[in-house]
Amino acid sequence: MTTNFLTSIVLISPALFLLLAIIARFVKPISKLKKLSSAITIIGLLTAIYAVSLLVINGTSQTSLIGTNGLGFSIRIDTLSTIMFSMISLLAFVIVKFSHNYLDGDQRQGIFTGRLALAIAMVQLLVVFGNLFLLVAAWVGISFALHRLLVFYPNRPKAIIAAKKKFIFARIGDVFIITSSVLLYRVFGTGDLQVIFSSVSELQQGDLQFEAAVVCLVLAAIVKSAQFPLHGWLIEVMETPTPVSAMLHAGLLNAGPFLMIRMAFLLHYSSLGSGILILVGGLTAIFAAISFTTQPAQKTALAYSSVAHMGFSLLTSGFGLYPAALLHLVGHSFYKGHAFLSSGTAVEIIRAKKVLAERRSGKLLRILIAFISSLSIYILFATIWGISPNENLGLFALGIILILALSLLLTTAIDSANYAQAIIKTIVLSVIITNAFFAFEVGAHHLLASELPDLKIIQGFNLILMIAIVALFALAILTQILSPRIKQNGFTYKMGVHFRNGFYVNAYFDKWIGALSQKKIYKEINHQL
Amino acid sequence: MKSKMEEKMIQSANSACAKIAPLWSLENYVAVNPFLGFTDLKFEQAAVKLKQAGATMTMPISFYLKEIEQGKITMNDVEKALTNLPFNLESNPNEFLKIANSKANETDPRQQMLVADIAELLEDEKWSVFIIDRITSWASAFFDKGQSLWNTANKEVDMFESWQMEALVDKTPVIAGLKNFHNTLKQVPKNTEEAIIYCLEQLEIPADGQEVYLYALLMKVGGWSSYASGIDWDNNLYGGSISNKLNFLAILLTWELCILKGISNENLIAYWTKFRAKLPEIQNSTTSSYTQEIQLCLQNAHDLATQRKLIQKVNEQKILKSQEDQQIKAQAFFCIDVRSEVYRRNLEMITPKIETKGFAGFFGMAVDYSPAAQESSENQCPVLIPSGPKVSDEFKDQASFDKVFKAKKSQQQYTKSWKSFKGGAVSGFSFVTSLGLTYIPKLISDSFGLTRPVTHPNQIGLDKALEEEKTVSLNIPFDDQVAMGKGALTAMSLTSGFAELVLFVGHGSTTVNNPHSTGLDCGACGGRTGEVNTKVAAKILNNADVRIELAKQGIEIPKETLFLACLHDTTTDEITIYNQSQIPKTHITAVKEVKIWFEKASQANRTERAIRFNSESKKNDAVLFRSKDWSQVRPEWGLAGCDTFVVAPRYRTKGVNLEGKSFLHEYKWQEDQSGGVLTAIMSAPMVVTSWINLQYYASIVDQKNFGAGNKTLHNVVGGFGVLEGHGGDLRTGLPIQSVHDGTNYQHLPSRLNVVIEAPIEAMNAVIEGNQMVRDLCNNGWIKLLAMNEDGKISKRYIGNLKWESIEEKVATKTPYSEMESANY
Repeated sequence: MTTNFLTSIVLISPALFLLLAIIARFVKPISKLKKLSSAITIIGLLTAIYAVSLLVINGTSQTSLIGTNGLGFSIRIDTLSTIMFSMISLLAFVIVKFSHNYLDGDQRQGIFTGRLALAIAMVQLLVVFGNLFLLVAAWVGISFALHRLLVFYPNRPKAIIAAKKKFIFARIGDVFIITSSVLLYRVFGTGDLQVIFSSVSELQQGDLQFEAAVVCLVLAAIVKSAQFPLHGWLIEVMETPTPVSAMLHAGLLNAGPFLMIRMAFLLHYSSLGSGILILVGGLTAIFAAISFTTQPAQKTALAYSSVAHMGFSLLTSGFGLYPAALLHLVGHSFYKGHAFLSSGTAVEIIRAKKVLAERRSGKLLRILIAFISSLSIYILFATIWGISPNENLGLFALGIILILALSLLLTTAIDSANYAQAIIKTIVLSVIITNAFFAFEVGAHHLLASELPDLKIIQGFNLILMIAIVALFALAILTQILSPRIKQNGFTYKMGVHFRNGFYVNAYFDKWIGALSQKKIYKEINHQL
Repeated sequence: MKSKMEEKMIQSANSACAKIAPLWSLENYVAVNPFLGFTDLKFEQAAVKLKQAGATMTMPISFYLKEIEQGKITMNDVEKALTNLPFNLESNPNEFLKIANSKANETDPRQQMLVADIAELLEDEKWSVFIIDRITSWASAFFDKGQSLWNTANKEVDMFESWQMEALVDKTPVIAGLKNFHNTLKQVPKNTEEAIIYCLEQLEIPADGQEVYLYALLMKVGGWSSYASGIDWDNNLYGGSISNKLNFLAILLTWELCILKGISNENLIAYWTKFRAKLPEIQNSTTSSYTQEIQLCLQNAHDLATQRKLIQKVNEQKILKSQEDQQIKAQAFFCIDVRSEVYRRNLEMITPKIETKGFAGFFGMAVDYSPAAQESSENQCPVLIPSGPKVSDEFKDQASFDKVFKAKKSQQQYTKSWKSFKGGAVSGFSFVTSLGLTYIPKLISDSFGLTRPVTHPNQIGLDKALEEEKTVSLNIPFDDQVAMGKGALTAMSLTSGFAELVLFVGHGSTTVNNPHSTGLDCGACGGRTGEVNTKVAAKILNNADVRIELAKQGIEIPKETLFLACLHDTTTDEITIYNQSQIPKTHITAVKEVKIWFEKASQANRTERAIRFNSESKKNDAVLFRSKDWSQVRPEWGLAGCDTFVVAPRYRTKGVNLEGKSFLHEYKWQEDQSGGVLTAIMSAPMVVTSWINLQYYASIVDQKNFGAGNKTLHNVVGGFGVLEGHGGDLRTGLPIQSVHDGTNYQHLPSRLNVVIEAPIEAMNAVIEGNQMVRDLCNNGWIKLLAMNEDGKISKRYIGNLKWESIEEKVATKTPYSEMESANY
């Protein structure tokens, strides 16, 4: 009873955000609203601290169900949900604070704050869900709240078009999450997460309903996280104030990977689900990461980058490396939140480039030295951290990617430089990156070890997929490393244009939904243009 | 050989292009008159031409009616406006207002002139939106200054060819429904002029309708047109291709052709034939619509009201005498910028011992500046003139210079490696996994303004000590230095009566996370801070050899006089005195005193500005924080509000609060017998101030075509411009947040009032002799006023070298001013 009560206290934060969502537009003057919303985000932070303390003292806890037949409202405090809850609360604090001055003077600032608060409340509820019912409710709630934010400027046709695309995909996602929940309920007879997790191992191998449920879960995550070819809307939704983009990319988009980590116990028993994640996540990651490098517009580039990172998180989940997936998800949230909020610095960054860096020579010997250096750094610190690379294939794959990434970093320095200082700094950076990689991977693993299934053996078709994807990744990095040696030709030029246009996926969707149609999109807003 | 018809086509294309005002990169944003191509026309006629292309030059009628309701515009103003303009409107102001009221919400429909327009009338598809997005996709990459890691546009060839290459690869138009897009494209010649001729022939545009058609086409994608125009402008001064506008026009024409040939609507050709037949009629038309006449009339009334208040204010002040007899410790030259007016007023209130004067913020030093370790150089001068003398960074000794050079270079090298890792296609994943969490502290410290998201580009590789010792190295022949020094002093009307300290106070701004930050810097320095220019001026004039030579030429600078370079930070209102460690011992006390005055004046200035910000508690801190706040969309008001330019000695306006709306230029006509200085002022600073004024004006009256839109949606493209949201045209001008506080406009659409104290004949001589000045004054782009020997504004220029006396009744009090005086 007391545990139940103590856990429920965490709900204060989403409850206050919900309250804010309702009253924000009525709070006048606006300075009062700013104080109120600041206070609520600070309470959010305190609640997060409370949740962490609760977890440290009491361990995992789940509130008893308010509902019937094993379905209803219940929240779960464990390491995963606490990390996510803390992350969202911190982001909410920063983003709400940012929006205070950013939207200053906008006559509809109250409405904006309300919609933002609703989105925050929904995400906070999602990350602590302890029952499938709450999962579905928060899942749908997030997309509803997001939709309201995306059309904050209702007279912008492009906002309407993007929101329309998003709306269609979100409904498809809803179908998957609901189907999945229904199937899970049928298999386990309850919506209670604790019960499901503890009884999943007793399930018979190859239960068709269970497989279908997991696949639906995976598909829901894929749709939510704007994976290829459903990413188009995300590329276009900078039609709404920057804080929304920050919230979306840092806090809402990662509902997909979060769900995969949350449901790791289920995923663990479905090789089909993992396979889909490796395939879709991997291909999306590589496609979007390359498209990202071709984008000349700042926010558009960031959007492609988010698609890629979501893909990578899903891919990592597919490998069964849930701690790594979580680490990536959380790291990406803070990085991307910052990137969006500071997107106005793009001009200064370009101004700084007027001091020219040396061109790369493309000398093979230097490239080789860089490669050997990065390999040595990796092996040296892997040994020190006591990590054996072949212990787990997924981790091995991440290791390969890291070695190649460090090679790119070092190549750029060593291959072009006559400034020892720059090379030394880059080597120091490589060492920091490598150690951070191991420290965080080991840390995340230890934090979550008790809550996650054992590392999975990747085999069969998934193994082939994994090798193929890692090979593609390696190819992409090698192309960059060797870029000074690669001659521009008709083919590379054409690929460049195709990648910048995202292989025309959006063009097809635009045609399909009638994005240019005056009747469908422009009619109501025409007079305001 | 081109035929006569073809010659005519290219001529039309060139004239259409000439109407597009330039736009500069956000790396050094400069205010520009968007109506630059129309100044040879009367203001009202230009409005007609712009309307044809879908742009507007006035506010909606309701705006002016509200001003009338609030008593800002009086019935007298309306009546005078009605007689001023050659329209056949109701002459009774009351009746006129009734009609205006009935049309309060009316606007003229956009003229349909392009194939894309006609296609939209016939088809459901919004083709113009599609075309603009396609052009933006290519142009962003073509002009990209380094945002994308993999630049995917061909930059080796000229604009038109690069676009053609891409269009042949891009599959989007075909997917969108233009089935034979690539076939049509292949028929179009590769050469720009040939392509223009080919398309005009294929589209069968009548010869005497080509110009208006082509101008409308350019205005449809006005942002990119302007950017192309800006490149042409710079290349015209410094060399390089000046056919970028023409290239861009060829692209747009090809698109028109592709739409005409690509849409399978049997009515399209028929409608297009009908529409294009009307083009000559549109081109020849010079009459406004009824609604537009009302708008123009009300705009005129608004201008009269602004002018009336100004005249009243200036003429009612207590007459001040020249204060030359007083004991002046220092003379401070500020930029003519309107923000200086506020500061100067506050500084003068602190002490009478400092005399302030106004001069263009580059202080006559149009230098070509190469920062340490930078290969390219910066033109530190107004964009109207080319930069000349070369200067670069200088430090205490070669060792310091090498240190900075190395630090900058190696920092850049490191940054490049870091970016290739962080932004690389796959390495970005490792970056996020390993270092993503380091953004937690960064996110928080940036939030509270404790850190900057990125280091300011000018500060890379410099520590405080190096920053302090940084000065300029003059690679300028001695004779030229003397000439520059003499030119500057003469133009400043400072040839005698030097104080112990002469301060050249340039200006710059401090903002973070602000794509438009350089727009707040000094326009006279080409969208950069005045640091270099003030240092050059001070260095030249402190040179003993230069002084000896100047003395020979009649300008005797006393030995005790020291010139100092300073910078007014317009966001924080702090004034930095550069290179303080190099000040001779003899002057240290004096400088100390000046610093105290500056500190007090800065405080007072911030307090005054806080009122305009309407900010709450702790006013000084609140203003200061704006310069560090990454979420601040209004770090300062820039030049918003500018509507006056006073060219006279300071004491003429010293007794009046000009509310930060006035440019101030020091000028004593008595010392300018040849009229050379007056010519210089009217043909340079006056033109620049009118550019700034009209930039603000245009951003208000037509945000869509001449404004940068909503800052919260800005998507920086290529490091040089902004899009509003996901696509659309490149945005020009000022964001809405820079002119509007959410409730009220912070800049009103008033044409610039230029008040000059000089003999009428002298002014007429300048007007007569200078085409640009003549156009501006005769055609109503600026409102010229003369100040008489008593310091009263006494005459108004009415065109063609004619002046009218300002009626005494203007000076009689209106209820508004009674109310004001009742408060005191």
